[in-house]
Amino acid sequence: RGLFLGRAAVAKLRVPKRYRHPALEERLSRRRTAQEARSLLRCRRAGIPAPAVYFVDYVTNSLYLEDIVDSITVQDYIYTVERSGNDTSSLHTLAEKMGELLARMHDEDIIHGDLTTANLLLRPPPEKMDLVLIDFGLSFISGLAEDKGVDLYVLEKAFISTHPDSETMFKALLKTYAATSKKSGPVIKKLDEVRLRGRKRSMIG
Amino acid sequence: MERTHQLELFPDRSVTLLLFQHVKNAAALRKKAMEGSIEGALINPAMIVDPFQVLVAANKAVHLHKIGKMKTRTLYAEIIFSLSPNNNISDAFKKFGISDSDTAVLIVLVVDRDKTVNLEDTASQVEGQQVSLDELPRLTDTAKVKKMYKVTPQEEKIGTLLDSVVCRMSTKDVL
Repeated sequence: RGLFLGRAAVAKLRVPKRYRHPALEERLSRRRTAQEARSLLRCRRAGIPAPAVYFVDYVTNSLYLEDIVDSITVQDYIYTVERSGNDTSSLHTLAEKMGELLARMHDEDIIHGDLTTANLLLRPPPEKMDLVLIDFGLSFISGLAEDKGVDLYVLEKAFISTHPDSETMFKALLKTYAATSKKSGPVIKKLDEVRLRGRKRSMIG
Repeated sequence: MERTHQLELFPDRSVTLLLFQHVKNAAALRKKAMEGSIEGALINPAMIVDPFQVLVAANKAVHLHKIGKMKTRTLYAEIIFSLSPNNNISDAFKKFGISDSDTAVLIVLVVDRDKTVNLEDTASQVEGQQVSLDELPRLTDTAKVKKMYKVTPQEEKIGTLLDSVVCRMSTKDVL
């Protein structure tokens, strides 16, 4: 975090994983950085809120992105609301907004790859429910309902494990998702299938 | 009046921006720039929404210069090229460089920190009035910028025009 040419920015530096073979490490780093930059640009063009890209360094495979100042993660917001005891209706609205945002993202064939409540930010003030998606390092482009279903499944698992009793929230999310996206039918179907299967599965081989 | 910014990633370099209005010798300046007899990148201010945009271009140009991966032949040409959302060099010069009929010019200088910036040299060659960078928004042709960078209407809701512009500048070579 810091200032980049006078603006608040976040520098995403890829930490080299020493356990990887160097050639593989370089290729992976490069690919992840490129994918992230590509997805961020794609999001922006489609009007999906995501940080702006200020600079891509292909030597160190690092990204310099817009810093959403004074934002809080959806994760922290949920914690705060639940701890204060009241106003759970705002969580319902939040879930609906999330569903709508994800539907729009998937309609652009953007798969986030790491959907968790920590990767969704709320711009200040949090009551405005101005969501921003971050961390597209594992993202890719795909039109397959399977990939979208898995994307939602990852979020569901993350939801349930970090926020107990959040099933109603997720249900509201899915409802709005289905209402917003025209291609949601097959996606929800795949989501049900994946739920029955379990987490790590591959249709290949 | 002019604005200088040190590049965080390249602390040994500084970028200075000078803005001129009521310029009478744009044609001569352009010729000088092509010959290389004037120090600095001469940019059409109508295509610039904010000094940040120029700094981002300069940052990228300096980076590529350092690693020997510039697409153009000089650092200043590279700055102009970096402003463009596409990879066509001559198009970049046409749209972002100055043309003979321009009456406003934005000059960008990149200097090593220990060397003193000789603004007088460059400024004296311009037959025009130097004004503060704060005047820049008044010179911006927003419609032209939106068209050049192909900014979509949905985009305008999630961020500023500057965000859209800078995003395209920085990611144009990833695809």
